[in-house]
Amino acid sequence: MSAEKIIEATDITLAYRRTRHRVSSLKQTAIDTINRRMSYEDFYALNGVSFEVSRGETLSVIGRNGAGKSTLLKVLARVLPPTSGRIIVRGSVAPMIELGAGFNAELTGAENIMLYGTLLGRDAKTMQSRIEAIADWAQLTEHLDIPIRAYSSGMVARLAFATATDVTPDLLLIDEVLSVGDEDFQTRSKARTEAMMNSGCAVVLVTHDLSAVKSMATRAIYLDHGAMRASGKPDEVIDAYHADLR
Amino acid sequence: MSENIAIYDSSIPQTPVISALKGVWEKRSLLKLLVARDLTVRYKRSVIGIWWSLLNPLFTTAVMFYVFNTVFKAKLPDGQSFLPYLLSGVLTMTLFNQGLTMAADSIASGAGVLTKVYVRPEIFAFSATISSAINFLFGLIPLTVVLLIFGKHPGFKTPLLLVFMLCMTLFTTGLGLMLAIAYVNFDDSRSLINIFLLALGYMTPVFYPISALGPHTQRVIHLNPLTSYLQIFRDVFGGNAVASVHEWLMMGGTSIFFFVLGFYVFGRTWPKVVAKL
Repeated sequence: MSAEKIIEATDITLAYRRTRHRVSSLKQTAIDTINRRMSYEDFYALNGVSFEVSRGETLSVIGRNGAGKSTLLKVLARVLPPTSGRIIVRGSVAPMIELGAGFNAELTGAENIMLYGTLLGRDAKTMQSRIEAIADWAQLTEHLDIPIRAYSSGMVARLAFATATDVTPDLLLIDEVLSVGDEDFQTRSKARTEAMMNSGCAVVLVTHDLSAVKSMATRAIYLDHGAMRASGKPDEVIDAYHADLR
Repeated sequence: MSENIAIYDSSIPQTPVISALKGVWEKRSLLKLLVARDLTVRYKRSVIGIWWSLLNPLFTTAVMFYVFNTVFKAKLPDGQSFLPYLLSGVLTMTLFNQGLTMAADSIASGAGVLTKVYVRPEIFAFSATISSAINFLFGLIPLTVVLLIFGKHPGFKTPLLLVFMLCMTLFTTGLGLMLAIAYVNFDDSRSLINIFLLALGYMTPVFYPISALGPHTQRVIHLNPLTSYLQIFRDVFGGNAVASVHEWLMMGGTSIFFFVLGFYVFGRTWPKVVAKL
């Protein structure tokens, strides 16, 4: 039996119309419309991207800024539906993207663990039973009942990381491997991320750190202007990327 | 966890409105937490929290009472008093304005999470309007006190208050979802909506009796759906107005219409908005 396919992406395209000059106010939109200066262009954030990721594989996505890497993660996290093509994701998804984005400074550490975990798609009962373990890993047990506005930025980062990584997902989405906090925390968080990646789930890793791609990825794809330029072994894909950069 | 075996297939078509409502229902535990967050932030952390949130409507009422009492007192139908009439008006407008703008704001300010994690944004709008409704309930305390002072009581129609609150929640959630799209797309929409809300406030009989207006103006005022909401609230809580069948139909109709429209428009537009963020 072949390994279970977690992601099947077939020819996914994400196109939208955007105004040629970025307009962000109603006033400017009205003026431009009256003066008939509104012109639109079709923009392809992703253009016919196809790949598969099976359990245990780590797929790395590389490319320049604005190439569509983050958009691809949003499609995999099902935040963005593709305009054409088909994407299938089997199982639970843990997005490690901008950790702590749902935190509220006025809530206590425990309340934030509950809220953030539930926002990340876990059920409230499970979260309730995990609060202690999460706080313990983040070494914040004594500070659990005070609003996190009193936390240092390092403490907030620890809490966010501990909550986000307190799962064994089927698919792990990583936007740049994190290095936050002091040296001890960096070591521990790196070890935990690697443990998650090696837990047998499928991983999609977006990064500019090409040495990380070489050491972690089993396969890579290279995106340029939304289109897939290369796909295959990490070394070959990196070579293709470098050839283009030159 | 049932989510663990979930299969996401983008080729399965989503029914507009229905699948969004299903998504909200599935994540009702998150909705509860979000409402708890809003209320905790507003009340629990300060002793005077509840009174603080009432300060604005009470102060507005006091100023309006001072200015308009002599002008409009005589114009109210017999047996009605100006202060409870005015306070119920201010509380209703606060509920509407707060629900609408907080719903839009919750999505605009939650965009950071909503563009990275799969959560139905509609849940955020709901949590804002539900929090506003709970806030409104606290406002009923001073209103009851005022009613008692004027020798009245909320009355036997009070259970119908739930219908009013349900309709208002649906109405503001739907409108708030559409406003959220404007908030995210256009920086200046926040100041424009304030002008609009101000105009709408004057088009609603908050501090003047409808009977004090000319026949033409009265017709215009009745076209404003908020007039129906307000008159129904006054009718069911304290008997400060008599709501007609037409007004009940207007309230029920607009709440369902704008709720469905809001979900529909938002569901169609949001993916395009997220793509640009």
